[in-house]
Amino acid sequence: MRVLYLVLSLTASAALAQTGGSAELGISAADIAAGLKDPTRWLTFSGDYSGQRHSPLRQITPRNVRRLVPQWTFQSGTYARGRGFETTPLALDGVLYVTGSNNYAWALDGRTGRPFWEYHRTLPPDLTYGASAPVNRGFGILGDRLFMVTLDAHLLAFDRRSGVVLWDVTLADYRVGYSATLAPLVVDDKVIIGISGGEYATRGFVDAYDPATGNRIWRLYTVPAAGEPGGETWPNVESAARGGGGTWMTGSYDPELGLLYWGTGNPNPNFHGADRRGDNLYTASLLAIEAATGKLRWHYQFTPHDTHDWDSNHVPVLVTLPWQGRDRQVVMVANRNGFFYVLDRATGELLLAKPFTATTWAREIGADGRPIVLNEDGSDGCLPDAWGSTNFNPPSYDPRLRLFFVSARETCASFHAQAPQYVPGQNTVGGVVWADRDRAFGALRAIDVITGKMKWEFRYPQSNLAGVMSTASGLVFSGDQEGNFIAFDAASGQELWHYQTGTSIWGAAAMTYMLDGRQQVLISSGSVLFSFALPD
Amino acid sequence: MKRLAAAAALLLICYGASAEERNPFESNDEAIRIGSLLFAARCAACHGPDAKGNLGPDLTRRWARGESDESAFRIVRNGVPGSSMPPSVAPDDELWAIVAHLRSISVMPQLVTTGDPDRGIALFEKECSGCHQVRGKGGALGPDLTAIGATRSREALVGALRDPSASVALGFRAVKFIAGGERVEGVVKGEDAFSLQVVTADGELEAFPKRGLDGLERSSKSLMPVFDATKLPDAALEDLLAYLGTLRGGQRNP
Repeated sequence: MRVLYLVLSLTASAALAQTGGSAELGISAADIAAGLKDPTRWLTFSGDYSGQRHSPLRQITPRNVRRLVPQWTFQSGTYARGRGFETTPLALDGVLYVTGSNNYAWALDGRTGRPFWEYHRTLPPDLTYGASAPVNRGFGILGDRLFMVTLDAHLLAFDRRSGVVLWDVTLADYRVGYSATLAPLVVDDKVIIGISGGEYATRGFVDAYDPATGNRIWRLYTVPAAGEPGGETWPNVESAARGGGGTWMTGSYDPELGLLYWGTGNPNPNFHGADRRGDNLYTASLLAIEAATGKLRWHYQFTPHDTHDWDSNHVPVLVTLPWQGRDRQVVMVANRNGFFYVLDRATGELLLAKPFTATTWAREIGADGRPIVLNEDGSDGCLPDAWGSTNFNPPSYDPRLRLFFVSARETCASFHAQAPQYVPGQNTVGGVVWADRDRAFGALRAIDVITGKMKWEFRYPQSNLAGVMSTASGLVFSGDQEGNFIAFDAASGQELWHYQTGTSIWGAAAMTYMLDGRQQVLISSGSVLFSFALPD
Repeated sequence: MKRLAAAAALLLICYGASAEERNPFESNDEAIRIGSLLFAARCAACHGPDAKGNLGPDLTRRWARGESDESAFRIVRNGVPGSSMPPSVAPDDELWAIVAHLRSISVMPQLVTTGDPDRGIALFEKECSGCHQVRGKGGALGPDLTAIGATRSREALVGALRDPSASVALGFRAVKFIAGGERVEGVVKGEDAFSLQVVTADGELEAFPKRGLDGLERSSKSLMPVFDATKLPDAALEDLLAYLGTLRGGQRNP
């Protein structure tokens, strides 16, 4: 096996040498677009642009996964209390590029977990949203540069060999409430980022930057200005200008259509809707954005006029499905509002919407694509709480089984709005959520994407926010709030192996790659990164 | 909200307080009322409307641990670095009012009873200490009661004695099952998808893999006996309350 991978990597180097011409050596846009074809690499947040987080690797199987053992643990020494170590490492030539909580970052040896370099950003003492969620979800890479966003709402470019910052640009003013936590998505010659801070009087956007200079190429605001299409869904200019719609999870990309798929967050104030009557476009929506220009091609709003903090900051999953006799290019989202959606990704046409958790919120999603809402505030039965039926924690998709795997949260909440004061730098959630903890639990669920029905589930005692990764050998890796990192049989949901990491798997999803002929599986938990493999 | 701001401004004028060590609004009913409104608007989303914890921790136990208003003020002002608790830029008076509200719902006034605490101690040792600890002495099946007099009202204590199953705290919920052929009864201290961590009825810490369990039964009923009027007549109840009222934990003398 070792020989094979050596040959592969030589071939890759030769190919690189031949391309010459382009600005820098290192990773090209074509390498990222190739996704997980090179088994030694993981070059973008979800592994590839599809957001499937499904690895073609087959060394670890349902038969041998019981023998999986830790290879090393990396103690990052930095912790986001009440949150998770949410990163997905990138893997290249045996080196892992890892971001941590509180804007630490490292280059680690994949064989030992030993660091080559460490970066720590000195953060201002008056951080706003960034102080309440001091997390980061990973690097983007292009050439020999790494890209990372910061809690004070900057975008940085690093030299991957030295960890030296090459440029540093401001995305927005953190003092107002902006922050940034996602893994940048590198598409062609652009670094695409989104922004956090929808709990404050902010206005969301998606930006594209020049990887060489840090110059901004385009910006798409997720809340339209007065006079722009969608502006009529806000009562006035003031409410829209502070309307939220954060873009804080990495999107997906269809290179053939040239479209980015990006989720948007809650309208601000989160729970108090009286000051923002209307649908509040384009909050709690999925946006299809032209990567070249930043223009909005289509949108689909999952939760019009949301008053539950049901952000739609999910990883959109792009697949081809046979649909009523013909192949359709679709995008799938399991949403915080409790419904699982399939949409045509060229047009935004809604193909399927089925609940994947218990909810009394809407009877169904109507033929016009709008929810038929029965119970807005939880006064008439349980609603998913403010963390939703699932959250940003990535799902995965097995194309062979046509199963969508998602951590589902069963919760029982009611929502009580209160008018907030709009003070820059102070959060404006605008209300309180009552949740019945005794009626909450979590589950990993496998959804048949053709019918929207649940194929299997594995239940956890508490609701959880673990991400999911699956592999072509028929495994699903996820975790629970109690700290277990768990491998399941993808077809049946049977638990095959687990390892207690010591604290919640929270927000993070596993990644996997080949190193010296052995498949490695990585997960972060608390302040620790774990690497697992089969015994030598 | 405007009314709230005006009220907060009024407080500022009336008291002109600064970041001093003693809470200028301690036991001030109007400040406590405003503090409760400020808490609902700014803190309840994370700490729960009753401050007993949601995403953020339970805030009603800190005084029983002997912590001061001033340390609470500092946390609200500075936040908790590396956590979801942000710093605050609100005026000192607003923060002191929030702290005064929290203290008012956390620290109970001295319990009023006609009972005799000495007779109460004797009763406690006979009926309660098998399961409850006070200052390190007693059983481990039920909650520690070292600070119970400072954290529970008279009504709550009477309710817990007369009808213990009305509300059973997490960490004290009863479970029964058969493991290795033996019947086990206890309270669940921890649980994941694969294992249970239990304090057994005889007060031992034991963990069980779920795979090996038969007949797992969870009960919403407390393992604590019901101390009704037959088992604990009113006069004896007053004696026990008199003793429990003396248990004010590590709290400083008011």
